[in-house]
Parts: sequence; structure tokens; C-alpha cells
Amino acid sequence: MNTLWVFGRFELGRLLRSWKFLAVTVGFPVIFYMLFLGDHTPGKLIAGTVPWRVYLMVSMCSFGALVAGLNAGGTRLSGERATGWARQLRVTPLPAWSYVATKVTASMVVVLPVLILVEVVGAAFGGVSLGAATWVELTLLMWVTALPFAILGVFVGFMVHPETAYPVITVLMFVLGYFGGLFTPVSQMPSFLQTAARILPSFHHSSLALALLDGHTLSGLHWLVLAAYAAGLALIIVWRHRVEESRGLA
Amino acid sequence: MSHRPQTPSTLPERAEDHPSPWPPGATRAGATGSRHHGSPRTGAADSKTDDPHGALRFTDVVYRYGRRVALDHLNLSVSRGEMLAVLGPNGAGKSTTMSVLLGLLHPQSGSVEVLGTSPRQAMAEGRVGAMLQQGSGNGLPPGQRVGTVVNMVRRLYRRPASFDVTVERSAIGPLLDRRTNTLSGGEAQRVRFAIAIAGDPELVFLDEATAAMDIESRQTFWRMTGELSQEGRTVVFATHHMDEAEHAGRVVVINRGRVVADGPAGTLKAAVTSRRLRFVADHADPSVLDQLEGVTDVEMRGRGVVLDSLDADATVRDLVRKGVAFCDLEVAGARLEEAFLALTSDDPAPRKAG
Repeated sequence: MNTLWVFGRFELGRLLRSWKFLAVTVGFPVIFYMLFLGDHTPGKLIAGTVPWRVYLMVSMCSFGALVAGLNAGGTRLSGERATGWARQLRVTPLPAWSYVATKVTASMVVVLPVLILVEVVGAAFGGVSLGAATWVELTLLMWVTALPFAILGVFVGFMVHPETAYPVITVLMFVLGYFGGLFTPVSQMPSFLQTAARILPSFHHSSLALALLDGHTLSGLHWLVLAAYAAGLALIIVWRHRVEESRGLA
Repeated sequence: MSHRPQTPSTLPERAEDHPSPWPPGATRAGATGSRHHGSPRTGAADSKTDDPHGALRFTDVVYRYGRRVALDHLNLSVSRGEMLAVLGPNGAGKSTTMSVLLGLLHPQSGSVEVLGTSPRQAMAEGRVGAMLQQGSGNGLPPGQRVGTVVNMVRRLYRRPASFDVTVERSAIGPLLDRRTNTLSGGEAQRVRFAIAIAGDPELVFLDEATAAMDIESRQTFWRMTGELSQEGRTVVFATHHMDEAEHAGRVVVINRGRVVADGPAGTLKAAVTSRRLRFVADHADPSVLDQLEGVTDVEMRGRGVVLDSLDADATVRDLVRKGVAFCDLEVAGARLEEAFLALTSDDPAPRKAG
């Protein structure tokens, strides 16, 4: 337990001391939020009874979780695998599984304050007012369901060369953001894009939150897709890890 | 991994079924740990009860990557406190041996014991430290403070050395506040050495540790490694530089996944620093040439004479002293790679003792 705590704190410390990481994860969702704020009529209904101003906050929360998850794993992980640091850790008492588990956990830890920050912006400038219980429910729901984003970041770090990791992450941020309906409501997109959105985790992440605020029951389909992404990506990471293990030091 | 007591091996003893390229006495004299398989006398009695304090034991270990056999019934025992060099060309099985020792690979057959338990267990208990071969980077997490990284690794161990002791042993004091990505090759190497010893391990593995070092860093490195060994730790290092093997008390040469030679470092050095003298002499007496100081082998082709010698200077002096009329003398320089190839070739030519 102690080894996990030592390594976990080290990993988290690395994230929180990296101003580049903080600038991107805090800056992107907040600046996008500000840019979109003046765009629409805030009261226009977007999803059921949910008005534009609430849709926007939820979307920016999703986008923030996506950006945080991708960047927490991503480039950093890819880089340290290339330098041989990940290999060095394998010859310490740190259990093999804990490397990936700690990375995902650290990503999840930084997602939470990003969600809260966007919500604060929403309450202060975005005209969003919710009951205390709803705020808590919304935050917890969006946090737990951000797991596929955290795993996706680690996945990119595992699969992509450090030099291409940054562009890949940037593309993923905007593809998942735009086509997942975080910048423009999916209902306002052409029908083929509406269909395409349904295969993206970002769409299901924000849809769950919108459903909560709209008073719907939380559709099992959203959960299913998010869980499938989390499990599928995790399996590929484990597989990749096994292949590398089977090569030993070579 | 279950421990399988070693039965008298059905395999021929390595040192016996290969004509040894080593000067006589190599395998016998090498038995500093009193129990490596090279000696038939101790081979059969080579069981766990003989040495409960063994650091390493490979028994008939086979490892295959698909169809390629990397370790071919490898047998190797190392006592605690030994400093062992594992020498071999690239692809000989050094890396696989290290991977198995570190618990990264599980052999398909045979058994491996590290500090009386399985490699993984020994690693998890924090009794093993390792410095790995340098890959494309410097082996450290980019952008981090050196002191933070070393201390984090140190704290992963159950009974680590104190931070101050770790810093002192690895001479990284001036580097503690530097960022890992600003270190020179030699500095990064010292930091990785600090990481290997931070847990106060009983057993230290160094895999091609000096590959990227300059001469000065190397000297510092071997001094620090020597200190580890003097403190009673077992040190095992893999290298393909023969001149580095002399830092070890014992050298094991691996080729094609087998131990092909095993002996004290001095003997190996003598074997590999052998020089080849060529000259032309009329009517030279082979029996005189054979008795020259340092000579291990004599070859005559008409007037051409080729001598292999462990001490070229002494041989030449003796040539003059014995009045052998020679001309066109050539002494081939330190052909370490060539000698090394001779040691690791499949059918090494028997070398005559001088």
C-alpha cells in the first residue's frame, strides 16, 4: 500500500507542477466557455427542457474532462516510456499493474477540479443556477463517467510515439469535442453527423449529464458505450503491456 | 516458480564437453563460491542445502522466444557477496538471462532462484536493485527534479538506505536540484545508479551500465560498484566489453544461451589479451619456439612462424636470448574482439598451455 501511495503522490505532483499541463487543462475549457457564452440566446431549449446556458456548461465540463484526461496521460506517458523510465520502474518493488492503474487514477484526480472550475464559471458567468443536491449529483456523475477519457489518455501514451503524441491528442480533443456535440448541439447537426456522434464517448458523457438535468432516467445505452470504451481501451493497454513484457529487457 | 532440486545432470558438464579455450586451471580456480557447475566434483552435490546463502541459481533454464532458443539449459550459481561479470556478444542470451533474473521473463523450463526465493518475490521484497541498459533516452522521467525522483524510488523499498547515504554512494549531491532532462549522459548514469542502490539491495544488477560513459565516468562508476561489492552485496553485471569484466571477481561467458566459460577475471584477461607474433625464420626449432616465455601456441608454415603469446614482450626478449634468427616481426595489437570471438565460437580451437 505504501509503495502505491508514494508513487501516486509522485505522479500527481508531476501533473500539478507542470504549468503546461495546467494551462491546457484549465485554459481550454474555460476560454472556450467564455467564447461560446455570447453566442446564442441563453434561454433557447436544446435538449428537452435544458436551455442553451446549461447545455453549454455541461458541454464544457465534458470538454474539460476530455482535455484533462487526454493530457494527463498522453504526451508525458509516451515520453517517459521512450526514455526508459517506465522500464526502470518495472525493476522496483512497484507491482507491474500499478503503473497503469496509478496513471489512470492520477488523471481522474485532476479531472475533478476541472469539472468544478467549469461549474463555478457556469454559476458565476453562465447564468446557471441549480439546487445544491443537483450540483453534487451532476459533478459526481460527470466525474465517474470521465473514466474512459482518463483511460484514453493512457492509451495514447502507450500506443503513440512521443513525437506524434501531441498532435494525436490535439486531434482527438477536437474530433471528440466537435463531433461529440460539445461545441454545437448534436440536434443541430446534419443527420449523418448525428449518427456519427453516437459512437463517440464524448457524446454519451454529456448526454448522461443532460439527461440528469432534464429529469430523464439515465439511459443504459450511454453507460454501456462509456463502459465499453473504458474496458476496450484498458484491454488493449493490458495486451500491449503483455507483449512488451514478453520481450524482457530486449 | 517451484524449486526443483538439482538431480545429477543428464547433460554433460559444460566445461567438460567443450574443449576449453582457457588456460588450464581456469574453471577450478574460479570456484570462489565453491560451487559452480564447471567442476564435476562439486557438480553433483550442487544442491540447495550446500549453500543456503546463494544469491542466484539457474538450474537447466530454457527460454524460447517463439522458436528461437535464447537460453539453452543454462546452469549458473552465484554465491552471496560475489561480483560476477556476464560476458557475451550481442544476442548471446545476456539480456534474456538478466530479464529472467529480474523476474521480467518466466523460463519455459528449469528453475530460477534469487536470494532463496523467486525472482519476482525478491524484487517485490525490495532486495534487488537494477540499472538497465540505456535506451533512446536517459531512463529518467523528463522534467523532474533529480532529488525528488531518487527519493521517490528509494521510498518504494521496504528497508531503503537513507537518502543521504544514497546520495553519497552515487555522488549525485551536486545534481539533486537539477532537472532530469538537463543532465549529461554521465550524470544521468550516476542518477540511475543511485536509483539502483536506493533501496539498499542485497543484489545489484547492472546491464551494460557503462555503455554511454566517457572514461572518467567509467572510472568513477567502477569505483562505486567496487564499494558495493566490498560492503558484501552481490553484484552481477552484463557487458560485452572484455576490459570491463576485469572489475569482477568471476567472469561467466555466455554464448548461444549457454555458459561456455567460467573463471576468475584474471584468467579471462590473460586469455583475451593473447597476442599473435608473426615472423620469418629459417630452420627454427619448433621445440625451442614452444618453450619460449609466454607462448601458448606455435604454428609453422614453411619459413613463416606464428606464435600466440600471453606476454608478447617476454616472448620477443626470449626469442633474442635463445638466438632464434628471425626477421619481419609483426605483433598483432590487442585483438580483443577476435579473442572474444574465439572464446564464444561454437568450436573453440584448443589452446595449448604455455
